[in-house]
Parts: sequence; structure tokens; C-alpha cells
Amino acid sequence: MSDVDPAALLAPDAIRLAEQAADKTQAIRICGQALVDCGAVEAAYVPAMLEREESVSTYIGEGVAIPHATLAGKEAVLRDALCFVRFPAGVDWDGAQVTVCIGIAAQGDGHVEILAELAQILLDPERAEALRAAESAETVLAMLTPAPEDTPEPTREGER
Amino acid sequence: MTTIDGSAVRKLVVACDAGMGSSVMLASTVRKQLAKNGVTVEHTSVQEIPGDADVVLTHAGLADRARGVAGGTPVVPFNLFLGDPAVTKVVTAIQQGQTIDV
Repeated sequence: MSDVDPAALLAPDAIRLAEQAADKTQAIRICGQALVDCGAVEAAYVPAMLEREESVSTYIGEGVAIPHATLAGKEAVLRDALCFVRFPAGVDWDGAQVTVCIGIAAQGDGHVEILAELAQILLDPERAEALRAAESAETVLAMLTPAPEDTPEPTREGER
Repeated sequence: MTTIDGSAVRKLVVACDAGMGSSVMLASTVRKQLAKNGVTVEHTSVQEIPGDADVVLTHAGLADRARGVAGGTPVVPFNLFLGDPAVTKVVTAIQQGQTIDV
């Protein structure tokens, strides 16, 4: 599990750096479509993402949201995948300004390490700024790829 | 009001609706913070909170559902996925073996 290839989870065509959305609903649809386009989910996943957003916002801070589906939406997942969608002009997210959406589709835990790396980035304001400003897919992927010394997870094998 | 004895916590569970996004993110940061304390940190959906959890962290909007599943296990609601004071309080209590009210 520790040698998951980040590039397989976050495919180049699922990294979109110059999108525009009038509101968060449209932003989530764009993320959902990116996941559909890369073959990670069926179309039914997208409304489940909107449903999830209505119950609890997926805004996590530092201008980043992580839209994903409810438990029911998991059935529409074809493979674990992420998408990275950047809105340079920003999107209003219940009063917060979102620049980056990382859409998630997952049935397993293959994406956990990338999300862990994302959390570390967002806890560091300078790196968070660099992620929001990323203008190439290579930069995005390099930032989200966990450094080898960054993933000592002694309890990981015990996870159920 | 529930009491948590930080020194007795062996398993902390972060629960969200699907267990695929927000809970994963928070669990990863808490797992790092508690790496030296011998505490297992897991992420799950609210419906799948394991019976052997000692404390459950969940988003405020899901706390009632979590309490319904968790039985007598303390459920600590939070609002922020990164840097929430309620989460910090629980983590500190575990690190320092303190007893806190939540």
C-alpha cells in the first residue's frame, strides 16, 4: 500500500489548472466531470458529490476544498482516483474563497497518502500558497507526492 | 458532558459520512501527532465506527448520527478539518495523559 503511484491516482488529464466556476455547485460539477472523464466514476457520482456538500462542506482551509460523495456514492466509483482543479479567479464557498478543488473518488485507501501530504502542505502557509499558485501538472504532482521520509506509518498495517 | 481519560485512549477514530475524504485528512494529521503515544488512529464512515474505539472525532453536523452508532464512546464534534480547537484539546489530553470534559 505504501508504494501507490501518485501519478496513477492523479492522472495528468485530471489536473486542470485554469477552470472557471460561477459558484461552488458549478465547481463541484467540474470536479465530478474530471473524475468521469478519467474513467474513475460513473456519472451518478456527481449528484452524490453535490448531496454530500449540502450536508457538510468539504472546505478544509487555505483556499482548498475536497469535494467527494456520500457513502451511497461509493457504488459509482470505478477506481480510486483524485482530480486537481484550479480556479485562478476563485470560487465563493459559503464565504470562503476557494482556489483549488481536489476531487476524491475512493473505495479503498489508495489515496490516503496523498491526502496526508495535502494536509501537511495546508498546515504550512508558504507551501499552501505554492500549491494554490501551481501552474503545471508536474508541480502539482511533485508537491502532492509524499516524500519517502514523510510516511513512517507504523500503525498502517494494523488498519482494517 | 462526557469525560475522556487521555492516558487510557488506545484507539481514536475519525468519522465522516463516507470515510473517504475529510476523515482521511484529519486522521492523517492526528496520526502524526500521536505517533509516539501508542494510539491507533483510524478513519471510517459514521455507520462503521468500530466498537473498540475509545474516542470518536466527527464533524459537528454528523455528531448526532455518530453518537447513535458509537454507544457510550465519547464523541467529540469539530468544525474545522485543520486546526480545530476541540481536536487539539483531545490530542493534547492524550499526549499528556490528562482527563478532560468534552
